[in-house]
This record gives sequence, structure tokens and C-alpha cells, in this order.
Amino acid sequence: MRRQDLLRMCLQNLLRRKSRTILTVLGVLIGCCSIVIMVSLGIGMKESQEKLLAEMGDLTIITATAPQGGRGKAKLDENLVRQLKGIDGVVAVTPKQSLEVDEIRLVAGTGNRYVADWTTVVGMDTQAMEQMGYHFVDGAAAGSTGDVVAGQYLAYNFKDTLRPEGRNTVDRWSGGWDENGNLVDVPPPYLDPMKEKMTLEISTESGKFTVPIKVVGVTKEDYSKGSETSEGIIMSLGDLRKILDKAQGNKKKAVPYDSVLVKVAHISRVADVESEIKGLGYSTESMESVRKPMEKEARQKQLMLGGLGAISLFVAALGITNTMIMSISERTREIGIMKALGCYVTDIRVMFLSEAGAIGLIGGVIGCIISFIASVVINLVSLGPSMENLLPAIVGGEGVSRISVIPPWLLLFAVLFSVLIGLGSGYYPANKAVRIPALEAIKSE
Amino acid sequence: MNGSDPRSRPIIEVKNVRKEYPVGDETVVALKRINLTVNRGEICCIFGTSGSGKSTLLNQLAGMEKPTRGEVCIGGVPISRLSENELASFRQKHLGFVFQSYNLLPNLTATENVAMPLLFRGVPRQQREAAARKLLARVGLSHRLDHFPRQMSGGQQQRAGIARAFIARPDVVFADEPTGNLDSKTTVEIMEMICAFARDFHQTIILVTHDPEMASYAHRIVTLIDGEIVSNQVNDKEKLCHEA
Repeated sequence: MRRQDLLRMCLQNLLRRKSRTILTVLGVLIGCCSIVIMVSLGIGMKESQEKLLAEMGDLTIITATAPQGGRGKAKLDENLVRQLKGIDGVVAVTPKQSLEVDEIRLVAGTGNRYVADWTTVVGMDTQAMEQMGYHFVDGAAAGSTGDVVAGQYLAYNFKDTLRPEGRNTVDRWSGGWDENGNLVDVPPPYLDPMKEKMTLEISTESGKFTVPIKVVGVTKEDYSKGSETSEGIIMSLGDLRKILDKAQGNKKKAVPYDSVLVKVAHISRVADVESEIKGLGYSTESMESVRKPMEKEARQKQLMLGGLGAISLFVAALGITNTMIMSISERTREIGIMKALGCYVTDIRVMFLSEAGAIGLIGGVIGCIISFIASVVINLVSLGPSMENLLPAIVGGEGVSRISVIPPWLLLFAVLFSVLIGLGSGYYPANKAVRIPALEAIKSE
Repeated sequence: MNGSDPRSRPIIEVKNVRKEYPVGDETVVALKRINLTVNRGEICCIFGTSGSGKSTLLNQLAGMEKPTRGEVCIGGVPISRLSENELASFRQKHLGFVFQSYNLLPNLTATENVAMPLLFRGVPRQQREAAARKLLARVGLSHRLDHFPRQMSGGQQQRAGIARAFIARPDVVFADEPTGNLDSKTTVEIMEMICAFARDFHQTIILVTHDPEMASYAHRIVTLIDGEIVSNQVNDKEKLCHEA
């Protein structure tokens, strides 16, 4: 038989008993919908989890620190940095070292009018800052010697020495908070750190010295990276080393890094790289330890939801099998006639399989359309039902967390799965049909 | 009749066919050692009462069942030994059927029903339906082309059935009590139609019946009693040969 004839016969037979076909399709449709909706809820959950984690810290950065307890061979030094750079999947490495001295003061302005009594100074590879997820609110990373990057609110640490004690500082929180917890009416600080000349005043056991600095950038506050992004100063490692040397005076000794930051190219490599660093004898820290269990939990939930959906599709599969068996027992004589007139066994099999497959296909396609609409409605309800929320409800976007997310592959998978379920449940009835002998045509009723 | 007569060339050869059916613990013998030869172009009537084994013999001849022992050859092909697929393609090319209860498919029109054997062969739709319409016109159903079986009388359905049996120009047409459900006037119409087709295309007809009236249309009458051929005689008073 020709393919178009088989197709025509298949449709004809489905249309012959409309209500039965519709009911069976309805079963598949509901099954398909429940799978798609359930899985989309799981994906939505995972997506918002990932957004949450990304807000907590960069997911692809590993912090290596010296092993706790005891001073083993594992030192945080230049050697390690070189070693880490060689690991597959690592795109950037920077050590971090903070300046530990008795006292650090910052003075700025004409005649050293503004003074900050304390600050933190951190040295790192300033060229790698952007890769490491530091954001700049002004300027850029320090390039040449003497250039530094200031924390976002460093300026508020300065007091104006020309004003009376008690009223010589600017309180960033004086305006209070709005209902969303954001600061309002933030008063401007006395100075713009990028415009003033600044000097570090460092006191050690051996004495006091000053280091002129120039602020070329301001980083956005991010406590997951350290307090220096808020009220400190970040400078190049070379500059920091010079200050340390000066502070140590004559008794020079190598000071190990506080920590080493490692940026990994892709989230999937984080676990491997982390275990490799651990293998070298260092302690590590990354969002991986938080992400892993969360991801596992999300996957479990997704599996559970998908399983619930799958149950209803399997029930639908039983419906298809039942429908096909009924239709075959009704058509026993017809099948006998067709065989007597020379219809190939394969054609009979294909005929019944395609009927079952078509039920799956129709149910799957309509099910996908309905679940897509349902998903948009769910999202609209959660985002607030309005026209401008329609697009985010469908495609999502930055800062939009959807409850139900349907990626294209899910629809494709659902349709394919429905067709497979149809074919699978048509297999047994089709075999039954094939075994009907031509003799049935001759049997008198 | 001499050797030059094409009728004398055998088309169906039945050799020592025996058919047994298990019924409970016992075995019922439906056919005991049948030997039969039917020549090309013959109208052969298998005559017998119900239970004589005539239907069983038809089943063996048409390849619907495999004999317990022995062999059936049609045109030299041992059909009792063909596989299911070989049998299907053999049926497409060489066999036609007319059934007692017409056996048109209820959801197909007269034209589609008649075109069905060509459908199984893979003939394109337009071509096969044109052939079907032509044949339906010949059996006097040109006004019923797009009617469904339930909209036609028994005689009309059987005429469509005949058109279907002959559309693929088979070598042998099996007719199983083709007029069993029809009145006597229609019976004559139908029988003459079958015989006319057979004569025109030089086809062999195997006619199974219990009606002596019908047997008179045949060239050869094979009488079965209890699974045995009791007589195999050539009919001299055959009705249709006189017309020719």
C-alpha cells in the first residue's frame, strides 16, 4: 500500500468513531499536560534557585585558603598561583593579601582636611578584578603603580577635621529606609575619592610612614567578596608588597597570601577544579557546596513531579490500548476480508500502529498547546495580571522569576513521548490484528 | 475436447489433501485424501450439503488454511507452502473472492470497495478508482458509485462484490455461496454476471454451493459427501456455454 493511502485509511478509521477517538485523545492530552506542567514547575523552581545562588555570590569562583590547623607544606604563594593557572578549566587566578599593620589611616584633601581613622587595604591582581566578578560603579581597575580602587562607601569613613567633634561625619543611614528596605535620602559624603589626592598613613612597631595613592575606580559593595569593596582599598599586589617590605623594616620575611581566588570557565567544571585544589592540600570554599545539595533537591522534586505526570500518561496509554483492542475486535471481519483480498501483514500492522500513534500525536500536540497557555496563565497570576507582564510571563527575562518555565525541548519531548506512548500501546493490539486469519472473511455471521 | 482446448490445461491441482481439526480430545477429519484438477477457464462447482466438507475444501484451495497433508497448487505454485507475505502477494495477483455475505467494508463507498484489491497492490488512487468506476458501470451500478454498502440492496452489494473480485483480473475467482442471501431472480442475474466475466477474461471460477440449480451453471460439478469426492462429472447441459 502507498503511504498516503495508509494515512487516509488511518484518519478515516479514527473519524469513524469520533466520540471514542476524542475520549482517547483526551486521555493522552491530560497526561501530556500534566507531564509538561509538572516538569515546567520543576524547571521554574530550579531557575529561581539558580538566580538566588547567583545573587549570593559568583557560582564559578573558588576560594583557596591554607589548610586549617598546622602549617603544612601547602603554602599560598606564587608557586601555587602558577600551578592553579595550569588546571584545565581555570580562566583566571588571583591571590588576595590584606595589609596587617598596627594602624592604617587615610588622609585626603587640601591640608589633609579629611581623615579616615581606619580602613582595610587589600592587594590582588587588579587586572583580574572584572573576571572575578567585581563590579565598578565608577572608573576602572587600577593599572599603574600607586593607582588603587576604593570601596563604594569609603568616602563616608572620612571626617572633616575643620568641623567640631560630633558633627564632623556624614551618616549614610540618616535618611532611613523605605518600605522595600532601600536607603532613602542618602546625604552626599564630604568628598569624591576619585577627585581628591589621598595618602595612606601606616603605623608599625618600627615607626610611621606615608604612601601617596590615587583612586582610579570605585567598586560596588559586595560583602561576599570582602569588606574592602565597601569601606576599603584595593591595590595591586606589587604595591602592597612594597608597603609590607617597608613596614617590616629589617626583619624581612615572606608573608603568605590570605587566599587565592580561582575563576572557572563553566559551572560544570567547578566541582572538578575544587577537588583538584583540595588534592593539593588546600581548603577551598565555593558556592558549589551550597549549589550541589540545592540542585540535587531540585532534581529530586523535578523527578517526583515528572513522575506524577507520567503516571497519568501511562493511564492514557492503557486507554489507547483499550480503544485499539475494541476497534480491532469490531473490525475482525474487515481485517479478514482485507487479508483475503491480498493485504500485506505489514500494512495491517502499520495501519493499526499509525492509528494508535496518531492518537498519541494529536493528544500530545493539543496537550502541549494547552499546557503552554496554562503555564502563561500561572506566570501571569504570579507576576500580576497585566499586559506588560505578558511577555515576561512567556519568555522570562532578567529579574523575572517564573513559576512555570517551558523550554522548547520540553514541548518537543512531550510530543515525541506521547507519540511513543501511542505506538507502544498500539503494539499489542496491532499484533493481535495481524494474527487474525483471512478465514474470518468467510465465516458466516 | 482435445488438447488444443485451453480448458484442458490444469490451473488448480489438489494432491492427496487431508484436513483434520482437533475438537476437544478427538480429531475430526473434514477432508479425506482429496485429488482434484480444475482446468483453466472452467467454471467448477463444488457441490455438497452442509458438513460435507465443501467449505473446508474451498479454504484449502484459496490458501486460507493449510492442509494437514497433501498439497494445493495454483498455476504450478504450491500455495499450501507459501509464507503469509508470499500468500498475500499471490492473492493480489491471482485470486479473487466473492462472498456469501458480500463483505464490502462498511465505511468505504462502492468505488473504494471495488478498488480495494488495487489499493493493496499500491496502484495510485485516481487510476484504481477509474478502473473501479468502469467495472461498476459494467455491473450496472454507475448510479451507485459513491454510495455506502448500507445504502444498497443485497443484489447491488453483491454486484459490487463481483466487480471487486474481478478488478485485478485474477486467474481464479472463488465464489462461496454467492447467492445464498439473495432471491431467485437476483440469483440468476448474479450467476450470469459471474459467468460472463469468467468467459470474457477466460478466468477460472470455483463455485461452492448446496443449490443444485446453481450447479447447472458449471462446466464441472464436483460432489462432496463426508469429506470425500463421490462424483466429478462434466456438465453437458451447462446454461452459459449455450449462450456463447
